[in-house]
Amino acid sequence: MKMKIYGHADSRVGVRQITPNIYWICHCIGHNAAHYNGGFAAEFAKQNPILDPKASDIIYNAFLFIDEQTFLIDTLGPNQHASMMEAVADLLDGRPLDYLWISHTELPHAANTAALKRAYPDLEILTVDGHDHYEVHGLGEARLLNYGDRISLGYHEIEIIKPLFVDHALTQWLYEHKTGFLCPVDWALNLHNETQCFHFMDEMEGKGYSAKRFTEEVATTNQTVFGWLRWTDPDETVQRIDAFFDDYDVKIFAPSHTNVIRQDMDVYRAALREAMYLAVTRAYELVH
Amino acid sequence: MLRHVVDDLYQIGESVAGQDGWHEAVRIYVLLNDGCPLVFDAGSHVHSKQIMADLETLLDDVPPAYVFLTHTELPHTGNLSGILKRWPDTKLVVSSGILPHVEMPWWIDDAIISYGYAGTHEIYGGRPIAFLDGILKDQPGTHWMYDARTGTLFTADAFGYMLPESADTLFDDELEDGVPEEWLSRYHSSAFRFLPYVVHDKMMADFQKLYEKRDIRQIAPTHGNAIRGDIALIKTRFSDVMKELCR
Repeated sequence: MKMKIYGHADSRVGVRQITPNIYWICHCIGHNAAHYNGGFAAEFAKQNPILDPKASDIIYNAFLFIDEQTFLIDTLGPNQHASMMEAVADLLDGRPLDYLWISHTELPHAANTAALKRAYPDLEILTVDGHDHYEVHGLGEARLLNYGDRISLGYHEIEIIKPLFVDHALTQWLYEHKTGFLCPVDWALNLHNETQCFHFMDEMEGKGYSAKRFTEEVATTNQTVFGWLRWTDPDETVQRIDAFFDDYDVKIFAPSHTNVIRQDMDVYRAALREAMYLAVTRAYELVH
Repeated sequence: MLRHVVDDLYQIGESVAGQDGWHEAVRIYVLLNDGCPLVFDAGSHVHSKQIMADLETLLDDVPPAYVFLTHTELPHTGNLSGILKRWPDTKLVVSSGILPHVEMPWWIDDAIISYGYAGTHEIYGGRPIAFLDGILKDQPGTHWMYDARTGTLFTADAFGYMLPESADTLFDDELEDGVPEEWLSRYHSSAFRFLPYVVHDKMMADFQKLYEKRDIRQIAPTHGNAIRGDIALIKTRFSDVMKELCR
């Protein structure tokens, strides 16, 4: 497995190459993840005993396109600041960062925006249009994009698309037409154990993982991530998923909190469909 | 802007002006709590200067004992540095659903953070604060809190509303007819983009359980002024607005 790692534990960032020009920049804890991820990860295993009790690590992803123009998706969190900056600088190898796209304004996705702007003064920050009061989210100078807007990087053609599943209002998804790369931001969210860090999903399968496990994890985690799913119609939810995949030929599934899927997308598409049906229909009690 | 809400509950905060004339409030709340002040959310970095000045006036040299964060987005945490630099012994209470190593500023010492678990309550300076799930929220690690002494429910983003500048300082019982549905609708349609996929009756069933369990006498949203007048009216209007925004 070819990769480079920066920092350790809560500052740890790994870099892997997805295609010749797309890089996966990933934070996860590794050893002792249960300590850092505490009750959050443990809660999932309590909710669903099928889940791996040793899988307590959670991924936070950024992605970098290196083309005629360079384009970064999200920034990772505050504690990953130094590692993230070093990883991006190494990958750019002296080139400027042209675009930073903020999928939404939560700190694990956007915390290093100001630092990147300081390091790359000509950087153009991009985020979703249709809201107001951007300054309180630290995006007062961002260029606002609408669904359907396209950005040509040279070879890669990025389109901003409407998300199927959102939490924060300032959320949009991104699809790259030449490679079939989809960043569906917070959708999915799987867990992994210490032997599975920085693995592509096909590599995870060699370490005890499976599409079936992915189904169970996504069904469980997404009840928490998208708390509103409990109020939706399950059939309509899967119809929306089917329609989405009919519109977009996804070959690389690259969410913010999921091991990147680069093979067997049809298998994982079916897993996602089943998972979301379960997320809507399975009992999940709220504390009122 | 510092305003007294009821009993020992105070509201602090400013608003940001939108392009179309509608303002978005960004509030924090303070329970003076007999000399052991409890602060709910830290406010926006955009308003740090005004928030800190109002806290100084209100607290009168008594440091806040705890800052309770409803969730970790910038409008709720952006002024944490202001509070913790001024009062470094202040402790933080966050949802058990957040992960400090990715959601909190790196310079915050883990030792000052404690967690609130939904379904429990803890005593802070002699005062019980109950933790519950954020029923309507835009971030997974959002929790709501309830102070039984004042009957105040701290609802983070829910029950917020956009307001015209003329209403910026007014509570619902100082408006001619409470908080209008249009104001609630403008905020919730913008803040909760998933509502068009939601079945209204399913969602309101959860709110009904909440209303039956808690004696709510004030609602304290971040993005609106405290609602302290006619709680029954705001519940009805909230449900009507959700009916309009949901399926």
